[in-house]
Amino acid sequence: MRSDNMIENTAASATGTTREVHLSKRDVSVAAWRWSFFCLASQNYERMMGTPFCHSLSGSLEKLYEGDKDGLSSALKRNMTFFNTEPQLGAIIPGICLALEEQKANDPSFDEEVIASTKNALMGPFAGIGDSILVGTINPILLSIGIGLAAGGNPIGPLVFLALWCGIVIPLKYFLFVKGYSLGLDAVKLLSNAELKDKITTALTIVGLIVIGGVAATTIKASVAFIYVAGDMTISLQEIFDKIMPNLVPLVIALGSYVLVSKKGWSANKLIVAILIFAAVMVATGIM
Amino acid sequence: MEFWQAALIGLFAYLGRNQVPWLCGTTGGWYGIGRPLMAGLICGVILGDVTAGVLCGVAVQAIFIGQITPGGAVPSDLNLAAYIGIPLAIVAGGSAEMAVALAIPVGALGVALHNFTMTFNAIWPHRADKCAAAGDARGIRVANLCGQLIEFGERFFIVTLACYLGAGFAEGLFAALPDVVISWLAIGGKMLPALGFAILLNQIVQEEWMIALFVLGWVLVSSFSLTTTSLVFIALALALIYVMARYSGKATAGPALEAAAVYEDEEGNYEER
Repeated sequence: MRSDNMIENTAASATGTTREVHLSKRDVSVAAWRWSFFCLASQNYERMMGTPFCHSLSGSLEKLYEGDKDGLSSALKRNMTFFNTEPQLGAIIPGICLALEEQKANDPSFDEEVIASTKNALMGPFAGIGDSILVGTINPILLSIGIGLAAGGNPIGPLVFLALWCGIVIPLKYFLFVKGYSLGLDAVKLLSNAELKDKITTALTIVGLIVIGGVAATTIKASVAFIYVAGDMTISLQEIFDKIMPNLVPLVIALGSYVLVSKKGWSANKLIVAILIFAAVMVATGIM
Repeated sequence: MEFWQAALIGLFAYLGRNQVPWLCGTTGGWYGIGRPLMAGLICGVILGDVTAGVLCGVAVQAIFIGQITPGGAVPSDLNLAAYIGIPLAIVAGGSAEMAVALAIPVGALGVALHNFTMTFNAIWPHRADKCAAAGDARGIRVANLCGQLIEFGERFFIVTLACYLGAGFAEGLFAALPDVVISWLAIGGKMLPALGFAILLNQIVQEEWMIALFVLGWVLVSSFSLTTTSLVFIALALALIYVMARYSGKATAGPALEAAAVYEDEEGNYEER
């Protein structure tokens, strides 16, 4: 195989005809797993996921340009550029680029600008979708389920979280990479289906908000210790609140915090300090 | 805390750090065992008190539940916060509020460490560029892995030493605190999860009315003591009803059914991935 390819390559460069080198299923699979594992291994502020991107495709490029050192060199350089996305949902992008690289290797007239611009055009949108759907919604939903099951210190909670998260996302990453490869540029059309994206996001948001509300109810705690005494009569504020609705005070605190973050634009640190000061006042006055 | 326990915690802290590849990349690492919920279980197993570990993990996780890592920028390093705060709280007496009190300042310090490694690792793409120019694909893979050198050094040694040397300090600290401070930390620590949920809500609420759904979940659990799993099924049913009604409303009765069927298909495919 090795020598065959080399002969083919030299013949191609001598006569200028197109050569035929194809990636096997295994090559694509290796590239997908390399992305899955090493997608952030040397992430840095200068080129973010540039080196990992090249790492993922490098094995396939070696095969595509076997015996053509210059071709391999320029292909590697082409894939070393700045790249940054949400790497789990964005696994489809190196998949698409791998298909384009294969086309380019077999057809020297293929414009390499297409590869660079595909990569650059997709990384932003996929970072947005991945951050909001995958790590911004699904991860917290599964964490909430885990917290719910961990009541009383039960280790089944964290284990269920890890099993669900890895069970969903590890196959998803692999599938997206391979799908990106097999569809090539058509994958972009498939994923720019705005209505589908809308439906998934809305459904996940609704599930997420209800589940998160339930878990927040068991996690945020605040009880009023203040008891009003007048002669023989004692009135416990907490009993009154409980009669109105169980868990009322923590709900007010949760919604108040949300309003401060969303409407007043408070940062996390500011809110931490505010909650601690509020707690200090409540303890000092004996209300809580 | 024995040294081997501290070293084991340091090792897991490294495996769950952002950017570490060994547990299927960021999935099993940063978003898997790097979450405080998992850190609590792991530290609890290592230190021989699983219940306290999980309870500390839940408390720290709730504060950081809304946190994502856009563009590799961490607002607070929750891995460092969890893998130092939780074990120190377990050895100092096991209260979840103590874990929270220790985790928050450590998490803020972690941001500086994270920025340092993200800056330092910028030397590797230059090495990879040279390999690319020479047509050396293997060299690029090695350069990519070299990024782990500093990350291992940073996370493993800092967490191991902080746990090993900090254990006595944390015990002494909590023993010396007056009662009023302990009860302040306890009450504050129980309210702090409101912060995590506020950030999370701010992130996922698309339209303002949706906050009513959060209240619905809250009221259902508070009033009927449902389990989380049964709440998930109620939520799924409501989500399906809403999405089907909203996206098939434009069409007439016949095509509406068709649209709903197609949606189910697409949703099914998505779930399979």
